[in-house]
Amino acid sequence: MTIVRTESLSKVYNPDTVPVHALRDVSIEIDESEFTALRGPSGSGKTTLLNMIGGLDKPTSGKVFIDGQEISRMKDGERIDFRLHNIGFVFQHYNLIPVFTARENVSFIMLLQNRDKREIEQRANELLDQVGLGDRKDARPAQLSGGQQQRVAVARALASQPRFILADEPTANLDTEAAMNLLDIMETMNREQNITFVFSTHDQRVIDRARRVITMVDGAISRDEAQQEYGLREG
Amino acid sequence: MKTLIALSWRNIWRHPARSSVLLAAIIVGLWAGVVAVGMVNGLMQQRIDYLIESEITHAQVHHPEFLAEGYSWLDIPDHDEIVSWLENDERVVSFSSRTITDGMVQSPVKTSGVRIRGIDMASETRTTNFHENLVEGEYLDSEIRNAAIIGERLASEHNMEVGNRVVLTFEDINNELISASFNIVGLFRSASVDYDERNVFVRADDFIDLLSDQPVYHEIGIMLSDEEFAAPLVDELNSAFPGIKAQTWRQLSPELSMLVELGGVMVILITMIIMLALAFGILNTMLMALFERMREIGMLLSIGMSRRRVFGMIMLEAFILTIAGAVVGMSLATLSINYFSDAGLNLEMFAEGAAQLGWDHIIYPTLSIAEYAVILAVVVMITLLASVYPAIKGIRINPLEAARDA
Repeated sequence: MTIVRTESLSKVYNPDTVPVHALRDVSIEIDESEFTALRGPSGSGKTTLLNMIGGLDKPTSGKVFIDGQEISRMKDGERIDFRLHNIGFVFQHYNLIPVFTARENVSFIMLLQNRDKREIEQRANELLDQVGLGDRKDARPAQLSGGQQQRVAVARALASQPRFILADEPTANLDTEAAMNLLDIMETMNREQNITFVFSTHDQRVIDRARRVITMVDGAISRDEAQQEYGLREG
Repeated sequence: MKTLIALSWRNIWRHPARSSVLLAAIIVGLWAGVVAVGMVNGLMQQRIDYLIESEITHAQVHHPEFLAEGYSWLDIPDHDEIVSWLENDERVVSFSSRTITDGMVQSPVKTSGVRIRGIDMASETRTTNFHENLVEGEYLDSEIRNAAIIGERLASEHNMEVGNRVVLTFEDINNELISASFNIVGLFRSASVDYDERNVFVRADDFIDLLSDQPVYHEIGIMLSDEEFAAPLVDELNSAFPGIKAQTWRQLSPELSMLVELGGVMVILITMIIMLALAFGILNTMLMALFERMREIGMLLSIGMSRRRVFGMIMLEAFILTIAGAVVGMSLATLSINYFSDAGLNLEMFAEGAAQLGWDHIIYPTLSIAEYAVILAVVVMITLLASVYPAIKGIRINPLEAARDA
C-alpha cells in the first residue's frame, strides 16, 4: 500500500532574484514497510524532498499525498496537526528537549496528542526499552551519549504511532558503533513491526542497510533501485 | 497544561544566573514600587488626617459669603439653633464654634498679615488636636487677659518670645478698625510653616468683646463618627438652615480631595514606571532565550506542537518568572510596610523641607488590599505585554529550523 506519493514536485528558492532549483519534477511513491534511503551529494535535494514529504515545506509546484491526503495544499495549522498524528521525525542533531528526561521527551508528543496518562507512561517505557535505554529513562539529554540521544529521538518519533518516520541524516553525528546500533534498532522495528522509514543520507552505512535507495542529483532522481535485504546480503 | 507549565518552568532555569538576575530585578523593583506607593499613601493619609483632625474637621458651617470675603460681620446666622441641632445629632462627635477675622500683627520689628482665630478652648480641644502643636509656653487656658499663641516661625520673624506683647489690628462688625495688645503665652509648630506664619490664636471670649457687643461666630468645625457622614450631614444642615453654607472637608479643601484621588493614580503610575523598566528586562531575557532555542522550537513545530501552544509556552515562561518575582517582592514589601506602618519611617534629614511643604517627616506607609490587587494586575498586564513580542517571534519560527546546522 502506498503511503507517500509525490507528483511532479518542484521547489525553486529565490524565484525572482537568483533562482535555485532544489527539486525538479520529482515523482516517487513509497509503500508501507519500506526501508528507503535518499542519497546524493550535498545540495542534491534529498533534504528538500524529505521536508516536502514531511509537510515542513511547501513545493513551488507539484503535489504531495500522504495516505491519499494532499498535504501540500493544507494550511499551516492543519499540516502541524497532520504531522502530529501521521509523521515521525528523527533529526541529525537529535533535537531533544534538554530540560526533559528521556521518558519525558518520549511522552511529550503523546501529551500533545492528548492521550491517556497511563497509556503514555506505558508506551514511553516500552519504547525506551525497545531502543535499549530502559535503564536511562530518567537521564536528561546532556547525560546521554550521541547514540543514546538519537535512540531517544527514534523512540520519540515512534511514540505518536505515525504512518512513517522521516530521518534526516540520522547517523551523521554518530560513531560507527552507535550508528550500527541505531540502524539495528530501526531495521528490527521495520522488519518486526512494519514501520516505514525514509532516510536522507550520504552515510554509506545507512545506504548499505536500506532496501531501496533513491539517488538524487541536482534536484532530480537519477536512480531508484531496490537492494537485497540486509540479513540476506550478510548471509 | 501541566506539562507546558513544567516545560516553561524548566526552560526558565536553563540559565539559572540569567533568570536569577531578572528575578532579583523583579523582586527589588516590586518591593521598591510597593513600598514607594505605601509611602506616598502614608504621606497623603497623614496629611489628610492631620488637616482634618487639627484644622479643617469633617465639616464646617459658615455664612455663605464668609470664606470668599472674610469680613467679621459675615457671621453665622441662627448659630444657637445650629448648635442645638448638632448637639442632638448622633453622628456628631464634637464641634467647636470659632470667631475669625483677618487682621495684622505688629511687633517692634515688623507688621504681618494674619488670620486671627478666636477659639473656645474646651470645645476646640474636644474637636481638634491642634493643642498638641504647642511647643513652648502654655495653651489659652492661661489666666492672663488677651492671651495669644502664635506660630513659632511668626515669633521668630518678629523676634518675639513667650511673655512678649504684640498688637493685633482688625475690623469689628461695624467696620471700625480695632487695635488691641495681646500677650504671647505660647508658641505652636504645625506641619506647615506657611500655616504657622499666618495664624494667631486667641480666646473667643476676648476676641468677641473686641469685635461686637454680642456673640459672633464665623465658623463651626464639626467632627463626625465617620467621614462618610459628612456629605449627608451638610445636605441636611443646608436644608434646615437656608441662611448658612455647610460644606464637607472635600468641598472646603479641593486640593486635599484631589490628593485622595491622586493616591489611586499614583499607585498605578509608580507601578507602571517600575514595571515598564522591568518589561525591557523581561523582553530582553525572553528574546535571548528564544534565539537560543530556534532549532528546538522548530523541532516542536515539526513534531506537531501547535503554534498556539508554542505561543502559550513562551508567555507562560515570562508569566511564571514574573509571578514568582511578584510573590517574593510583594511579600517582602508587605513585611516592610507592616513594620514601618507601626514603627514609622523617620526621614529626619528631610524634616525641614518636608515642613515647608506641610508634610510630616515620619511616614507611616499604608497599602490597602485593593491597591495590592491593582499592583499585581499592572504587573501581570505589563509582563504579558512584554512577552507578546517574543511569543509572536516564537510562533513565526520556521519548522525547518529543526534541520538547520548549528
